Amino acid sequence: MTALSNITLDIRKSEFISVVGPSGCGKTTLLRILAGLEQASAGEVYSGGERITGPRADAGVVFQQAVLLPWNTVLANVLLPAQLKKDNSAATIARAERLLKFMGLQDFAQKYPFELSGGMQQRASICRALMRDPKILLMDEPFGALDAMTRESMNIELMRVWSEERMTVFFITHSIPEAVLLGDRVVVMSPRPGRISDIVDINIDRPRSLKTMGTPRFGELCDHIRGLFGVEASTVSSL
Amino acid sequence: MLLSSHRLQSTLLAIALIGAWQGSCEYFDITPLVLPPPGAIAVKLYTLVASGEIWPHLWATIVEVLSGFVLGVLAGLAIGAMISLIPVVERLVYPYLVALQTLPKVAIAPLFIIWFGYGLTSKIVITALVCFFPILVSVVAGFHSTDRDQLDMMKAFGATTWQTLLRLRIPSALVLIFAGLEIAAVLAVIGAIVGEFVGAQVGLGYLIIALNFNLDIAGVFAVLIVLSAIGLVMHGAVRVAARRYIFWIQRNEAPVLV
Repeated sequence: MTALSNITLDIRKSEFISVVGPSGCGKTTLLRILAGLEQASAGEVYSGGERITGPRADAGVVFQQAVLLPWNTVLANVLLPAQLKKDNSAATIARAERLLKFMGLQDFAQKYPFELSGGMQQRASICRALMRDPKILLMDEPFGALDAMTRESMNIELMRVWSEERMTVFFITHSIPEAVLLGDRVVVMSPRPGRISDIVDINIDRPRSLKTMGTPRFGELCDHIRGLFGVEASTVSSL
Repeated sequence: MLLSSHRLQSTLLAIALIGAWQGSCEYFDITPLVLPPPGAIAVKLYTLVASGEIWPHLWATIVEVLSGFVLGVLAGLAIGAMISLIPVVERLVYPYLVALQTLPKVAIAPLFIIWFGYGLTSKIVITALVCFFPILVSVVAGFHSTDRDQLDMMKAFGATTWQTLLRLRIPSALVLIFAGLEIAAVLAVIGAIVGEFVGAQVGLGYLIIALNFNLDIAGVFAVLIVLSAIGLVMHGAVRVAARRYIFWIQRNEAPVLV
């Protein structure tokens, strides 16, 4: 079975790419190939002129679930990427603590994951991904398991992180509004075989906020993307 | 408050049941050769302890249970880890181990008496063998239970095979290994007693046979109480260790006696 076919995508440095598509369109497979977790059976992936053949040091991955190690404290979980490199320096620990503070988790550093809410766990997992100071942040539906309110506040947090750190972001989601709110461009994928059916430029000024979602331009872009899936333009609301 | 009221209720239930037992023994005039009253059992237990008669037997059984448990657990951990981590060993050895497991260990106890003698060694070997299998199975299942997402996560952050083993696979396996330890802790007492039944000169199992032979049924019951106390202590110790070492597993703790 072919999961992906004929994928050509140029991602610019510091660009926020959102990816939307129905289940089975191969968006997770694409992310796994970008992360070096899987090899494409044909074709090549390059990052800054270097070919990706295996797990890479310049990427931070955030999974659908937080995937924290339950027997480690939040701080130890965030430090994991550094510890795997045998880096226990004071500067590294300070960086982890700074990231936790940035994400509002400073009071939870010594707690265990089971003591945290789902949103807080996912925030810790974003801290872990940022620990390696990644050139690219690969996110596979990171907020899909969260409730709507938490999800919106996580969107705002993510935009704040991105505006500070200016890394490239590859963000997979099921939600068209989420894709439009966050992305510079939205990659629209379709299934069987997974392919890119369109790439939509999101020319909405930054900084964006939840208010952006009420603007006519936002609604038009969402409707346009829905149209690409063959869904009738919504007459109710863009949400 | 709720817990203590539950505990109070179960204590009251125990007192009621023991009272009913004592009462019906006297009311129906049941011969102590069939069912001795709890009072007689308590007196006999006190005599066994006070006279010092029970101590050499208790000591022998405790040595057998603990040594057998430790040996069986160590062997189970070592062989289980080899089977889980070295595919060749799994293919070659596992089928035979499964076949060996289907054999009732009680049935081979007489052989062990012949091979290892009437002393403590044969009982320790039987106990170790009885404890070995639940540990082996739980280790193998434990290593297979590693979460796929977590394996991906380790890989994405550049973990080596060795780091993944130490930081992910072993801690993940602990959860099921502790389940195996709980079973083995209880089976250890059974293993030692079976060994002593088949042939021994000392031990609580030997004492039961001797008391039974003398038709001292109250004495048999007294020893049974001591045996179940050993089992409860073993089981409780594993539970305490589990609460410490796999603290992230939140179990719904029902009130138990220990």
